[in-house]
Amino acid sequence: MLTRPSSDDLRIIGQFTGRIFLAFAGVSVLPLVAAIGVGEWAPGGSFLLMLGVFAILGAALTRLPTSRPLDIRHGVVVVALGWLLVPAVAAIPLALSGHFSDFIDVYFDAVSGLTTTGLSVLQDLDHLALSLNLWRHLLQFLGGLGIVVVAVWLSVGGAGLALSRSEGREDKILPSISSTSRFIWRVSLVHMAVGVAVLFGVSFVFLGFTSGRSLFHALMIFFAAFSTGGFSVQSTSLGYYHSPILEAAAGGIMLAGTMSFQLHFALWRRRFREAVRNLETRSFLTTFVTLLVVTMVGLATLGTYHGILGHARQGLFQFLSAHTTTGFSTVPSSELAGWTGLAFAGMVTAMALGGMAASTAGGVKALRVGLTAKVLKNESKRVMMPPGSVIPIGYFQDGHRRMTVEVAHAAMFITLLYLGLYLVGTGVGIAYGYSLQDALFESVSAGGTVGLSVGITDPSMPVVLQIVYMCEMWLGRLEFLAFFALIGTLWSAVRGR
Amino acid sequence: MRRAITVMLSVAWSLCLAAPAIAEVAVIDVAELLRDPAAYAAPDVAEVRLRGELVGDFGHRQDAVWTQLNQDSYSAAPILSGGPLAGGNQGIAVRIPLAIWHEAGPPGGYRHRGAIVEVAGAWRYHDPDRSGESYLDATSFRILEQSAPLHEQFPRLRLLVGWVLLVGAGLIAGTRGHRAGD
Repeated sequence: MLTRPSSDDLRIIGQFTGRIFLAFAGVSVLPLVAAIGVGEWAPGGSFLLMLGVFAILGAALTRLPTSRPLDIRHGVVVVALGWLLVPAVAAIPLALSGHFSDFIDVYFDAVSGLTTTGLSVLQDLDHLALSLNLWRHLLQFLGGLGIVVVAVWLSVGGAGLALSRSEGREDKILPSISSTSRFIWRVSLVHMAVGVAVLFGVSFVFLGFTSGRSLFHALMIFFAAFSTGGFSVQSTSLGYYHSPILEAAAGGIMLAGTMSFQLHFALWRRRFREAVRNLETRSFLTTFVTLLVVTMVGLATLGTYHGILGHARQGLFQFLSAHTTTGFSTVPSSELAGWTGLAFAGMVTAMALGGMAASTAGGVKALRVGLTAKVLKNESKRVMMPPGSVIPIGYFQDGHRRMTVEVAHAAMFITLLYLGLYLVGTGVGIAYGYSLQDALFESVSAGGTVGLSVGITDPSMPVVLQIVYMCEMWLGRLEFLAFFALIGTLWSAVRGR
Repeated sequence: MRRAITVMLSVAWSLCLAAPAIAEVAVIDVAELLRDPAAYAAPDVAEVRLRGELVGDFGHRQDAVWTQLNQDSYSAAPILSGGPLAGGNQGIAVRIPLAIWHEAGPPGGYRHRGAIVEVAGAWRYHDPDRSGESYLDATSFRILEQSAPLHEQFPRLRLLVGWVLLVGAGLIAGTRGHRAGD
């Protein structure tokens, strides 16, 4: 029997959604200060308006009186609502910029930013205000680290664990969620200091940009690369820089972003052997090498580039961008659409599988791929064995673990849901007249929160397809649990007793 | 004499007609180039000529300046100056050797519409010397129109509404504090 959520349940959901709004009100100060600092008054006014909306919603909702603590059921609904409502408010400065045709386009970009996807329908990016570009990239950075961590960081308190689990994260690296989130922030800030310094040096010394612009480009590339988001400052993405050194630096940050925070923790504690033994590390390395070879062979067959260096640089960068689910590109989307055959197969599979769990990356995730592969291997063995024989499966992931039926089911269930998600988007794309190859590429890119495009994502794209891609980004980022919880809560609110 | 002049004029006319074929100068727009980039690639096409706005940054490297040339409706009228929305930007990378480079004012961005220039050069498509990059390697560069500042309107209403909302949020928070105090 369905139990209708009590008014106390609704109040607690509202209160914690309000806390997330207040957290974002705090973050909104950054682009506001940047806008004032560089004298961009029109965007500055929009940021103040956004700050006001976040603040008043946050203040009103947190005023709701509650007597119960937040539990996991509330947490998942709060996260689902947060990821739907925050982009609506965060879109205000973008909407007032005049760079979008309608609110669906604006919301699409905000959702794409917060889910770290990177697909964009913004028009005339090359004349966009600096502070608005900062806001887009900051959204990706915050989305990558999770609304939850931001909320915990800004003293939500003990409810953080429920929120964190509901976001699809299992990254309780340290005993408490607050110490875990502090660790995540520390890792991110260390990467930021090193990454921005390196990118600044490359931009200033090798690319010959002015110091101010070098710092701006360095910050934006870091935000988009570490969050595996993929937004860019200019319309030609990372192809704008024409620099293999910058691509290498960005590639290193993308890899750091796609690594799980557990792996960061193991490396931080110098537990290198453990890091290498982890099923997730091995699974990611296996798919990375295998699919890279497939993509390279495909490109060589097509003869797209002249010489081995051309294939190596262009092929490797686009592939790295796909597998880490970042979405940067150094070639135009029309050229990417010409990567057919094996190159297409390698890229799409890499995007679909994605990075590691508990990282900023999207996709099915390497741990699930590893677990699914182990289950399939076990089933193949079982066929050869006498009936009724039991084959225990073990794996190493931060210690020896035994594969239980629940773990196997969960891994395979989520994997199947991802495949279903990719196929639904592909079907809608085909219904709108796009080729199977293009529709599949774009759908996987949206569902895997990648952001590479073969040209379907465009201001003139069909609205229904745009909404489908938004749903894919949202579901792909939250890994379905929050969606089911939200639907369940709504259903029980209507039909429950 | 008259016949000789006629012959000379005919030869000169024929040479004029043949000249584009010999040099293979193609005057195109960026959208056309991006639609079929291989068709204009050097050395098959010796030179292409493009007009557009310089945007982003001027990257002063050892022997050349690298920048981006956009040719889209925003080059003529950016959104801030009241230009209409017309899709994404259309741009290519340009490498301009320092020997032919002139200062072109601030590059196009939020505050400026960049200089409108005419650039001719070889379209290096998937250049093997630069591991597969594509860019226009300029041999001539001419500024047609200097960069122009863009002006924004002061957002009085947004600031006012923003402040009102913030004060409202403060009042709500204050009420809560008062209640908690009770």
